[in-house]
Amino acid sequence: MKKLTLAAIVGLGLMSGSALAASAWTGGDDLPTSPLACDGTPAAAVAKPYDGGVPTNPPDRKGKKITVVDVPKLIGIGYFNATSKGIAGAAAELGNVDAKTDGPTKANIDEQITFIDNYITSGVDGILFAANDPVAIAPVLKKALEKGINVVGYDANSTPDARQWFVNQAQFNGIAKSLVDNMAKEAGEDAGVAIVTSTFTTPNQARWIAEMAAYAAQCHPKMKWLETVEAQEDNNLSFNQATTLINKYGDDLKGIFGMTSVATPASAEAVTQAGKCGKIAVVGLATPNAMKPYVEKDCVKSVVLWNPVDLGYAAMQVLRAVADGTLQPGATSVKAGKLGDLQVINGSEILLGSPYTFTKENIGQFDF
Amino acid sequence: MTAAKLFRHETILAALTVIAMIVLASLSDKFFTAENLLNQGRLMAEVGLISLAMTFVIVTGGIDLSVGSILGLTAILLGVFWKNLGLPLPAAILLAMVCGTFAGFVNGLIITRFSVPPLIATLATLALYRGLAEGISEARSVRGYPEWFFFFGQGEVLGVPFQLWVLGIATAIAAVILGLTPFGRATYATGANEVAARFSGIRVNAAKLWIYTASGFCAALAAVIFVSRVTTTRSDMGTGLELDAITAVVLGGTSIFGGRGTIIGTALGLILIQALKNGLALSGVKGDGTIVVIGLVLIGAILVGALFDRNRGG
Repeated sequence: MKKLTLAAIVGLGLMSGSALAASAWTGGDDLPTSPLACDGTPAAAVAKPYDGGVPTNPPDRKGKKITVVDVPKLIGIGYFNATSKGIAGAAAELGNVDAKTDGPTKANIDEQITFIDNYITSGVDGILFAANDPVAIAPVLKKALEKGINVVGYDANSTPDARQWFVNQAQFNGIAKSLVDNMAKEAGEDAGVAIVTSTFTTPNQARWIAEMAAYAAQCHPKMKWLETVEAQEDNNLSFNQATTLINKYGDDLKGIFGMTSVATPASAEAVTQAGKCGKIAVVGLATPNAMKPYVEKDCVKSVVLWNPVDLGYAAMQVLRAVADGTLQPGATSVKAGKLGDLQVINGSEILLGSPYTFTKENIGQFDF
Repeated sequence: MTAAKLFRHETILAALTVIAMIVLASLSDKFFTAENLLNQGRLMAEVGLISLAMTFVIVTGGIDLSVGSILGLTAILLGVFWKNLGLPLPAAILLAMVCGTFAGFVNGLIITRFSVPPLIATLATLALYRGLAEGISEARSVRGYPEWFFFFGQGEVLGVPFQLWVLGIATAIAAVILGLTPFGRATYATGANEVAARFSGIRVNAAKLWIYTASGFCAALAAVIFVSRVTTTRSDMGTGLELDAITAVVLGGTSIFGGRGTIIGTALGLILIQALKNGLALSGVKGDGTIVVIGLVLIGAILVGALFDRNRGG
C-alpha cells in the first residue's frame, strides 16, 4: 500500500512538473516550499511591484500631529489588547500621533465596517485595521483612501488595493524554521518527532508542515519524522491523539509538534500525565496564557508565535512613515523605531521579522 | 384602539429624536451634514427593512428570531447559485430571494399548522437556517461579483443611496397596509385577542402565514443589499440582526404582547438608534460607551411609555 501511494505520488509529481513536489511529511500540502537558510540569513526579497492602494490628494502630513484610529477585528480580548498596547506605545514614542483603539465587541464584519465608516466621517488622518473579512472590508477602506486618509493593515489583510501597506506578522517558512530549530535544540538532532495537527487539509497547517519538512531536510537532516495525526481543533481529541502517539512509539518519540493553539497545550497535558516531562519535548504554536502552566513546570520550553505588542508597534510606525512620505511605493525596507529596519515583501507587505519564541523567562509579560 | 394614546408615544419619541439630533449636532459638526445623514441611511437599510416586517410580527403578539439567519442563508444561496451552479446573476438573486421568502413561509407554517409558539419555532429555525448556511457554504466566501451588482448596495439615485429609496418605499407600503387596510386591522385584532378575532371571522392563520412569509421576504431583500454593499458573501452574515430589529420595533412603541404598534413608531425608533450610534461615535464616544447609552435610552423610552399608559388606563 505504501509503495502504491509512493508510486502515485511520484507519478503525480512527474505529471505536475518539477516545481510541485508532495510534502515529505503527511499533512503537508503540495505547493512549492521555500525553506529559509539554516543560519537565518533573510531570503533575498523577490522583486514584486507595489500593489497597494494610493490615497487621493492626501494633505501634507509630514511631521504634523495626526489622529489615528485602530479598528481591530474585535476589542476586549487579550490578543488585540496586546496589539493596542503596541500601537499606544509607538504613538507615545513618536509624540506627534494621537492614537486610539475602537471596534466591535464581537468579530462582526458589518459592525467593523460601520466603525470605520464613522471614523472616516469624523475626519481621522490614518486608519489601522485587522480585517474580519479581506473582501467585505475593501469598499469602506477604498472610501477612506478616496478621502485622502492613510490606511495600514496588520494581523489580517484586506485585498491589497484597498490599503497602502500591510504589516505581516509571520511567513510560513519563518514559523517552520522557528519550530524545527527549537525542536532540534530541545530533543536533539536525531530525534524522532510526531505532529499533532488540525486536519490534513487545513490550509495554514498544511503549509506550515510542508515548510517544516523542507526546512528539516535541508538543515536538520537527521531528524526523523514518525507520524502526523489529525485532531481537528478539539481539546479532548488532541489529548487522546497525543497520548496514543506516546504509547505507540515509546522511547523512539522524542518530540511532539503542536500545530494549533489547541493541539499544543493538549499535547503538553498528555506528556505531563504520561510522566514524560523532560523526555518528550513539546514545541508548537500556541498563545502564552494556555501554555503558562506547562512552561512554568518546565515541561514545555518554547512556544512559538509572534509578539502582538511588536505587531501593533510596527503598524503604528509604518503608518507614521507613510503619512510623513518616508515610506513610498517601491521601498525595500522601512525604519520602525526600536524594531529597526523591517523588510518589504510581496509588493506592499512589511514583514515583522522572525517569529517570537515564548520561554520561561519572558512568558509572564504576556497576557493573551 | 385609542388613536390618541398611540399618537402620544410617537410624539414623545419624535420629540426625543429631535432633541437627540440637536444634542448630537452640537457635539460634532460632522454629524448634521447631508453626506453623513445619507450615509447613515445606507447603513440603516438592512435592519430597517427587517424591522418593518418585524412590526407586523410583534403586533400579532409573535416574534421572529430567525431573520438574521434567513439573511445569512439567502446571501449564501445567492453566491452558490451564481458561482457554483453557474446561473446568471439576476436569476441567482431571484432564486435566492424565493428561497429566503420560503424560509419565512416555513416559519409561518410551523407556527400556524402545529401551534408552536413563535418564540420556540423561530428559535429552532434560527439555528436551522444558520446551520444550513454554514453547511452549504462550507465556510467559504463567494467573491468577485460583477460591477453592476454593487449598485444595489453602493449606488445612488438622484444623490440618495439606492437602498434608502427601497427602505422609503417599503416603509410607505407597510404603513398603509398596517394603518389603513382590513389586513392591518386583522393584524391588530389577532394581537389584541386572538380568540376573539377568530370568532369575529378573521382568518387569523392566513394573516400570520402572510406576515411570517413577508418577514422572510424582507430578510431576503436585505440580504441582497447587504451582499452588494460588502461585495462578498459569508455564512455568518446577519448574526444578531434580529435583536437590532426587535430593539427598533420595541423602542417605536410596539407592545411585545401584541395588539399595539405603528410603522411610524418603528421608523422613529430606527432613526433614533442609528443617530445615537453614529452621533456618539463622531463625538468621540467609544463603541462600548455607545451600547450603554442605547440601552439606557431604550429603558427610558419604555418607562416613559408605561407611565403614560398607567395614567390613562387608570
